[in-house]
Parts: sequence; C-alpha cells; structure tokens
Amino acid sequence: MVLLERDPNAPGEWVDDLPVTNRYTFGLAGERFFRVIKEEARILGTHCTRCDRTYVPAAAFCERCLSELTEWVDVGTTGAVETFTLLYVNADGTFREKPQVVAFVRLGDGGLIHFLAEVDPESVAIGMMVEAVFKEPGERLGSIHDIRYFKPMG
Amino acid sequence: MSESSQNLPGTPLSEKDFQDGLILHSYDEMQARYAWDTGTAIGSYLAALKEGFLLGGRCSTCRRTVIPPRVVCEWCFRPMDEYVPLQDTGTVNTYSLCYVTWDVQRIREPEIPAVIEIDGASPLHGILHKLGEVDPQQVRIGMRVRAVWKEPAERQGAITDILYFKPIEEA
Repeated sequence: MVLLERDPNAPGEWVDDLPVTNRYTFGLAGERFFRVIKEEARILGTHCTRCDRTYVPAAAFCERCLSELTEWVDVGTTGAVETFTLLYVNADGTFREKPQVVAFVRLGDGGLIHFLAEVDPESVAIGMMVEAVFKEPGERLGSIHDIRYFKPMG
Repeated sequence: MSESSQNLPGTPLSEKDFQDGLILHSYDEMQARYAWDTGTAIGSYLAALKEGFLLGGRCSTCRRTVIPPRVVCEWCFRPMDEYVPLQDTGTVNTYSLCYVTWDVQRIREPEIPAVIEIDGASPLHGILHKLGEVDPQQVRIGMRVRAVWKEPAERQGAITDILYFKPIEEA
C-alpha cells in the first residue's frame, strides 16, 4: 500500500487569517509635508540649491547630491497631468461600470499620484491642468487622502 | 525610553506621542487570509488529531517511522508504505523557556516550546509543541511527557487539539 488516497474525513484545507497590522510614520520631511496638508491645505516641497530641483513630496535629502534639504517651498495646489490611467477594476477585484481615473500630477520637479474626478474619463489628456480638492479642515487627518482628488481647472 | 537609546541618532517616538496626535502616521491591516491545502499525509494526520491520536508514517525499506507522516520517504524517495498510530507519550528532545509571546508581549510565566520525540517513532523523530503543568525550572532534556488533549467535542483537526504535554508521574 502506498499513501496516495486522501482521507475523506481529513480537512482538505487549512483556512486562517494572519493578523498583520502596520503603523507607518512619514519621517522628518514627510511629517512636515503632511502636517501642512492637514493644517493649511498647502503642498510643500523641498528645494536643493545645488541641483536646482524641488522635491515633491518633500524629501529630507537630495537624492542626487545627498545634501540635506532645508529650504521649503510652496508648490501650489495645481499641476499638469503627467500621465494617467483608467481603472475598470476595484482593489477587491470587482468590476466598475465607470472607470476611476488615477493620474500622476506634476508639482515642482516631482508630483503626486492621485485620483482625478469631476471629469469625463474620455476627455482626460496628458498636459491637462488640474487642481487639488481638499477635504474640510475638520476631516483632514494628515494623509494623502486629505486631498479628495484633483479636478480640471475651471 | 532607556538611557542608551536616548543617545542614539534619530528621533525617538513613544506610544504617548501617537496617542497625543504629535506624530502623523498611517495604520493599516493587511488582508492576509489564506487557505493551505493539507495534502494527503498531513490531512490524515490532522484527521487523526481530531480522533485523539498521533499518526506517523512508515517506510519499510528504510525501517523508519516519522511523525508527522509524509507520502514520500525522505531517505530513499520511495512512497511510504503505511500509516502507524503512535503513542501520545514521548521524551523531551530540546526545549526553551520563552518570556515573550508570539506578538512580542512580555510575560512573567514562560511558555515552554519543546521538541518531543514521540514513542513509536524512530529515534530523534518528534514534533514541536508546548509543555504545561510543570515548573519551568524542573524541565529537563530526556523528561518523559504525555499529551493533554482537548475534549473530543472541541477538537477541530489541528495540532492545537493537544493543549500541551505534561510530565508523566513515574510510579
């Protein structure tokens, strides 16, 4: 006899859940970046004088010359769509009738990946100017979701 | 915050800083639900645990009995020949006194994970489980132990159907 037959009484599979949680802090520059979004609804970058580059989101060090960055600049809340995609599938795998638009919006020499809304998905184009729509001050928690979405400039 | 960690570079954070809202952060829970196919041999092993006994596997070519059972002998690579019910007694092969829980909480009374060589299996073949009903300072390698099972109605075909192993009172 060889052990090839499965025991019909045996549990076929073991089903469980891994209780994995995480808490992420944003670091020195990220802390200030999100604090200003939360409290002032402004988007800040850090500028490297030597490389003449403005990092968005703000970084503590220049990734080119490794200088510490101490010059904070307001990059405004409007930018051009650098690239975008139309999502017809939700994060949980279910399908959407109307696509969700996700774009990389250029701010300073960097930018933010965020949703586009109040826009016909068919009319979204690279180079389109969009502006951030913030949540109300009381709703803001210091997160990227303090910006609801970007919308075309009116 | 200990004194030595105060002197290290970086920004020390305390739990209170988070509670007081001084530190922005994101919190997330991963959806890490999984289903693992128990396979032929481990499926039978788990079914046996639900019945209240330990199941081994035997290779007659190598004359070895292993626990948990496997479908293929790891020495000769031939299919194993048969399942063998084993005793629920054994000998402590190695152990540890563990003062930290799986989720990193300090505990005063240690948990005692141990490898237990199961009676009826070949020498040095055993399973990892916990010891209980024992003074941690009295645990020794070579100690004889017996499984303490959950009530039949509570058993679900899992290694936790055995609560722990406890020392056998020598007559």
